[in-house]
Amino acid sequence: MTQTTATQTGISLIEAVTQAMAYELAHDPDVLIMGEDIGKNGGVFRATLGLQERFGTRRVMDTPLAESMLAGMAVGMASQGLKPIIEIQFMGFIYPAYDQIVNHLSRLRNRTRGRLSCPVVIRAPVGSGIRAPEHHSESTESIFAHIPGLRVVIPGSPARAYGLLLAAIRDPDPVIFLEPMRIYRKVKQIVPDDGVALPLDKCFVLKEGTDVTLISWAASLMETMQAAQTLEKEGVSAEVIDVASIKPLDIDSILASVEKTGRCVIVHEAPRTCGVGAEIAAQIAEKALLSLRAPIMRVTGYDTIMPLYRLEYEYIPSEVRILDAVREALAFG
Amino acid sequence: MTQPMSKIVAEFQIEYIQYLQPDGEPIQALPAFANDIALLQDLYKWMLRTRIFDQKAIALQRTGRLGTYPSSQGQEAIAVAIGKALRPDDVMCGYYREFGAHLQRGVKMEEIFQFWGGDERGSCFEHCIDFPHAIPIASQYLHGAGVAAAFKLRDEPRCALTIVGDGGTSEGDFYEAINVAGCWDLPLICMINNNQWAISVPLKEQTRTQTLAQKGIAAGMDCLQVDGNDVIAVLDVLYRALEKARRGEGPTLIEAITYRLGDHTTADDARRYRDEAEVEQAKEAEPLIRMRRYLEKQHAWSEQEEQAWTKTCQDDIEAAVERYVAIEPQPVTAMFDYLYGNMPKEIQEQREQALMYAGTAVSPH
Amino acid sequence: MTTIFKLPDLGEGLPDAEIREWYVKVGDEVKIDQVLASMETAKAVVDVPSPRAGKIKKLYGQDGDVIITGQPLVEFEGNATEDRPDGGTVAGALEVGNELVAETAVVATGKTQTTQVKTTPAVRQLAQQLNVDLNHVSGTGPQGMVTAADVRAFYEGKTTADQTRPATAHGKTETIKGLRRQMAISMAAAHAEVVPVSIVDDVIIQFKKEEVTERMIRAIVYACKEEPALNAWFDGQAGQRTLHSDVHLGMAIDSEEGLMVPVIKSVQDKINDPAQLRQTINEYKELAQSRRFAADQLKDATITLSNFGRFAGRYASPVVVPPQVAIVGVGRFAEQAVVVNGQLCARFVLPISLTMDHRAVTGGEAARFLAALLKDLST
Repeated sequence: MTQTTATQTGISLIEAVTQAMAYELAHDPDVLIMGEDIGKNGGVFRATLGLQERFGTRRVMDTPLAESMLAGMAVGMASQGLKPIIEIQFMGFIYPAYDQIVNHLSRLRNRTRGRLSCPVVIRAPVGSGIRAPEHHSESTESIFAHIPGLRVVIPGSPARAYGLLLAAIRDPDPVIFLEPMRIYRKVKQIVPDDGVALPLDKCFVLKEGTDVTLISWAASLMETMQAAQTLEKEGVSAEVIDVASIKPLDIDSILASVEKTGRCVIVHEAPRTCGVGAEIAAQIAEKALLSLRAPIMRVTGYDTIMPLYRLEYEYIPSEVRILDAVREALAFG
Repeated sequence: MTQPMSKIVAEFQIEYIQYLQPDGEPIQALPAFANDIALLQDLYKWMLRTRIFDQKAIALQRTGRLGTYPSSQGQEAIAVAIGKALRPDDVMCGYYREFGAHLQRGVKMEEIFQFWGGDERGSCFEHCIDFPHAIPIASQYLHGAGVAAAFKLRDEPRCALTIVGDGGTSEGDFYEAINVAGCWDLPLICMINNNQWAISVPLKEQTRTQTLAQKGIAAGMDCLQVDGNDVIAVLDVLYRALEKARRGEGPTLIEAITYRLGDHTTADDARRYRDEAEVEQAKEAEPLIRMRRYLEKQHAWSEQEEQAWTKTCQDDIEAAVERYVAIEPQPVTAMFDYLYGNMPKEIQEQREQALMYAGTAVSPH
Repeated sequence: MTTIFKLPDLGEGLPDAEIREWYVKVGDEVKIDQVLASMETAKAVVDVPSPRAGKIKKLYGQDGDVIITGQPLVEFEGNATEDRPDGGTVAGALEVGNELVAETAVVATGKTQTTQVKTTPAVRQLAQQLNVDLNHVSGTGPQGMVTAADVRAFYEGKTTADQTRPATAHGKTETIKGLRRQMAISMAAAHAEVVPVSIVDDVIIQFKKEEVTERMIRAIVYACKEEPALNAWFDGQAGQRTLHSDVHLGMAIDSEEGLMVPVIKSVQDKINDPAQLRQTINEYKELAQSRRFAADQLKDATITLSNFGRFAGRYASPVVVPPQVAIVGVGRFAEQAVVVNGQLCARFVLPISLTMDHRAVTGGEAARFLAALLKDLST
């Protein structure tokens, strides 16, 4: 299905994002990218590195400093058949655009009964752990997951970033594509530039197991996988699921796993109250209660303002906390 | 098609104020306060102190003792003039390049280090009533309008001053703030630090307007440009604007023209997107040099004094660094203790949980 | 920034300073504030830090040389800017890793092969309390789930299955429930599995007939010590036998509803206190009438005693219930005519029946066990 060449080297998650955007820019003349510092500078995380040189200033555009303008312009451009990819520099700066996203991007198709729609991708780095200043470490995906008409996607690896971003760009509806900064450059994978998209609305199984289902997304997948390895050594077989498509949720895959293991622990960096974990827990309770051998556990960020970087690792759900939650679930028998 | 007949219903003019040229020579008679040579020396000393502080902060970041830090190099005149012009009971709502004002207004150096060093206590401002740094661009403009509105509602002769970068004048919050300030005659000084660059976006790609100052015309307020590297000019326009506001005559928009000599932050590298030659040229117009030249011509400054004051500043800064480095880290409970005036039960429970896990996570910091 | 660093005034207008010691050499990469040299002035020895990061190109003097204030001290290489690798961000610091990892993620299919038994948490708890294995209980609830009633029914042998009538019933037909049903199930299961062999014998007793139960228990304990093979569990499927050191004695007790077999745990520790043992036996008899035994009082017997001869019957082949391998039966005892030392006389005789599972117990083991029983009973 995929071809690799002898000369292929691994790429990081951010490079996979670049690769996906470059592929779509090359194959779809309606695709364009807008954002602050994305042209000459290649983006503050280098997501658009080299793209303006390759595709020109009509396809890769630096804009004035205004997030609401970016989202609102995207509505207008998309209505005319363009497919804008908007970059918001950090999730903490997306809130001025929230009005346009909620009031228009998510609704234009519904409002016009399909006559107009918004094939827009809004990309933003999400999460913490990189010693950044205030406001640069947000995890507020649930305020977008709450909005009907939006898709929310969070890739957990370079390969998934490539495949899911291609799918997002090709999707006819608005996708909030959140990229976990902490794993932007953490590891490399071989990701063939073959233009093959991954399915939206599907979870990914990172590890099969039989005793407990660990459900996570974004950078918390790191601590979750570490916990799974530790549990393996203790004789507990954990299944690890990357939700990836936060909205719409592939609840069937989650249910199938919970029906198999009977126990689940949901891990996310976002604050606990009304986090996406709450929605997943409610659906598991509704539809798989009969398979549960223990309460659904959540290991999440606290209901606090994201602290400045000195305390950020006290906040981020740690492997220790995940292991404790698993053991608590196992204790129910 | 022929043009129809029409009449001009509105016109505007934007004034530009400058006193000292880059070579230190006055272009016109200086304002009265310039006769107070001690004041001018003080202005220069604050600019130099700010510059040295700024360099030290960068050094701390480079040696891992500070997180990302935004340099104010080249823009010292603006902040120092603000710090000199404002009264203690005025309130400043700045963004993050006003160290020269903060240091004059009672913010401790170690508090500034703490904020950029990842410790919220850096915004406690034990001796200053200003707003903390505002990172979401232009959001502080609305806060300044709110503060000014409070002063006006209470008939207090106090002013609010807010300041934004050239990039920030593209944000909606900027327009909403100046609109209401003009509409309500708020005692608000609206400043723009036009340092020509919004990270990598130069001014000409930010807006088509000829001056940023004229954006105030659309808000119905007085607006003007000033040479932001001429501390005497900036101080002069500020004094006037503040007096006017205190008399109840409304807001002023001041565009201070300067140049961002450093990178956007310590994590940026401006060489990626701008010409070194342009930077070198801008250095010739920078604020410290011209003020020093003027003072030296007045025999009010010398190399010896430069060295001595530099050493004093360095000593003060080193002492502040020592205090900063020695500060006890916040306990994990600090995450919870300042969310609400009265702590809800669910927060209490999570606080206890966090205490249980304190110190167990693997942190690279 | 210039590339030449001139000696600053090291304190209050000092004209010069002597290089005491260089801490760097040509070619070194230095950081901002890194100490370049130790300089001695008229007043003090002072460390001179580097004003910038960079590579040392030239040192303007050697140890011992005097440098005039304001004159070149160190030259840095290249143009006046620092060489920094592209950190790839404008805020924060990304961790950059070069480890090449495989992608283990597979698109989820939403299907699973194995599933948990479908039931609610409350029912799971009930099953735990009653020591019922949910995997053995068939569910009659929604979606085929196991209900609490299903669990209780399994435990007590009740069922809510359809009642069927044989076509040619003449008497009153009822569906058996409770202990009777349990008996039908467990006897059938035992019959299917066990290979029973019975040996019977008589023993002349000298104790009072009221003490029969306690003496039987004592005798069983003694016999288990002598021949442990009959105090064991046998798993035919796994081919495993577990010899027990404890004797958990199942006591078959008849009640209105049917047979119950409560277990006296570790009865070997209790035979030294006959009064206590008597009390325990009486308690069990009472509990059997009200059927109020706790779940764990009814399980884990290692050998069973059946006092079946209350009304009639001398010898029997009582059923061995797996995983046990033996059951001891006592029939109706009465005064009988026996010959002692060549003389005919009347004595109380206890008829003893022993059934064992010949898959696990040999004839010899059974015989020795029986002999030990008789020996203890005859004293």
